[in-house]
Amino acid sequence: MSERPARPTKLPLGLLLALPVLVTVGALIVVPYVNIVIMSFRTPSTTRPYAPGFTIDNYARALTDSFYLELLGDTVRLAVMITALCLVIAYPAAYHLARTTSRWRGVLYALVLSPLLVGVVIRSFGWIILLANNGLINQMLRALELPALPLMYNEFGVVLALVHVFLPFMVLPLMGAIQGIDPRLEEAARSLGASRTKVFRRVVLPLSMPGVQSGCILVFVLSCGAYVTPALLGAGRVHTLTTEVVTMLDQFLWPRGAALALILASAGLIAVWLWAHFSGRTMRGLA
Amino acid sequence: MTRLSIEALEKRFDAVRAIAGIDMEVAQGEFVALLGPSGCGKTTTLRCIAGFESPSAGTICFDGDDVTGLPPEKRDIGMVFQNYALFPHMTVNGNLAFGLEMRDIAAGEVQRRIAEVLGLVQLDGLGERYPRQLSGGQQQRVALARALVIHPKLLLLDEPLANLDAKLRDEMRFFIRGLQKRIGITAIYVTHDQAEAMVMSDRIVVMFDGIIHQLGTAEDVYDRPATRAVASFIGLSNFFEGTFSGQVGVHYGLDTALGRIGCGAGFALTPGQKATAMIRPEAIGLASAVPNGAAAFQGTVAERYFLGNLADYRIKMADGSVLQVQQPATASFAPGAVVHVILPADRAWLVRERAP
Repeated sequence: MSERPARPTKLPLGLLLALPVLVTVGALIVVPYVNIVIMSFRTPSTTRPYAPGFTIDNYARALTDSFYLELLGDTVRLAVMITALCLVIAYPAAYHLARTTSRWRGVLYALVLSPLLVGVVIRSFGWIILLANNGLINQMLRALELPALPLMYNEFGVVLALVHVFLPFMVLPLMGAIQGIDPRLEEAARSLGASRTKVFRRVVLPLSMPGVQSGCILVFVLSCGAYVTPALLGAGRVHTLTTEVVTMLDQFLWPRGAALALILASAGLIAVWLWAHFSGRTMRGLA
Repeated sequence: MTRLSIEALEKRFDAVRAIAGIDMEVAQGEFVALLGPSGCGKTTTLRCIAGFESPSAGTICFDGDDVTGLPPEKRDIGMVFQNYALFPHMTVNGNLAFGLEMRDIAAGEVQRRIAEVLGLVQLDGLGERYPRQLSGGQQQRVALARALVIHPKLLLLDEPLANLDAKLRDEMRFFIRGLQKRIGITAIYVTHDQAEAMVMSDRIVVMFDGIIHQLGTAEDVYDRPATRAVASFIGLSNFFEGTFSGQVGVHYGLDTALGRIGCGAGFALTPGQKATAMIRPEAIGLASAVPNGAAAFQGTVAERYFLGNLADYRIKMADGSVLQVQQPATASFAPGAVVHVILPADRAWLVRERAP
């Protein structure tokens, strides 16, 4: 009888392959999130990260104080506005990019991605140079003896800058979805008597809904969580839940900040779920 | 029922001329096939008729009304696409109702028309299915029904059978042709399959490189091809190059390397002119003895292939050329046998080298 060397018990290959991802996700996402959840139930203290003992007071305050509720409302309203603007602006561009056979396609594609090529702080300062009260645009207006416009330190500037940077996140999923629609479906619809508008409403839009759905979710979630742009372009005059969370952290009220952050995350999740549910229904309804 | 007239139609894509000088008249209720290899311009012609391409020059008229400038949705056409192009997010009923809704037809009438057309294409009871739940053949029939339910002026079909397997394709040829005759709709059918074109159409338009080489019945294009390209594309052919020697009785003479061949012609030639004659493999006769009263050329059987109903021969001729000959499989000549080849003058035909 031949003696076989005992094989060492080994991990399944699949698990081995997934290990780096599991470790990274675990260390960088799961652990911090768990920590945030625990933190949100701790007793706040102004002199150190938290005082001993646990409480639900952080949530109770946030959910009963009209200040925070209004802030949550503002944050969601801004995110919805940004998402809607992105959708309206991105759709024609995505359609064109998906259908064009032009040799400029690569250039157009790069242009769509261009907002992401500049870091958030530099991009924000770029906007400040343009939009400030004595910025480029207002200087030109004054030179033409026109009244200056309030372009930043308000929601307008924040929405403008966020729409700009989130556009690629809307264009790309839309483009993917539209590319998946056979152009002959549009021709078939037209041969059956549908005008361009009706072709869009009855064929292209319903079939691109998966792209609309994912693009909107991406932009909405990113908008809810945006901090640097509202902070720099709002300059303390545009308040969202994220800026408020950071204010709390500055004041050493970590447990309060954690609770607010989790409330925002939950509100975002609920909004995304509602949207996915609603748009899925529309998708079937439009057909 | 609509009459289609196309005059001097031309379409350029940048510098490339896709079609040029397309002239044709399609009578009411006629079934016309546009036949040719890929890139010959048949699909471009169809897309111009549909309105998806706007021609660079020329006019297209439905019943004498110029539609050249109209968008597809104003042309009242029914179109069947190669991949069917059924709306995947709509049921069969939804697909069929689409064109009727665009015409603001009342709901009751829509239901009646859908039921009628589903019966016509033998898909009763499948109205609630989605396209992905149907077989290829069923999808094909839904596409046909969707084009017909709007009662269009013209039925345009772009290689509709190309994606079906051979057996189903064969059935669908007769199905589509039968349906078209029953409804009496004028139809234009694009295909690269010569058998399909011959079986289905009243007339065939044979196109190469953007121009029409021949417009005629299946018999015309098969027995009396206008050009060498038509003869080679449709069926099998033997070609003889030679010098035209003028009229000999009811036929014409062509002096070839083999000797003088009698043939017919559809265009005028002058004696001494270079010309080409073609003859189909099954039109050539083979005999073991010198036949009486017919011109025969001696040759040797080089190869013989058994095709079931036919035997396919390669006959090596005195001048070194090889003829393809098909005979009923009952008569048999063994390879190496000396045979007499008969080229009947009423089956040989002079072809042009280029389109007229």
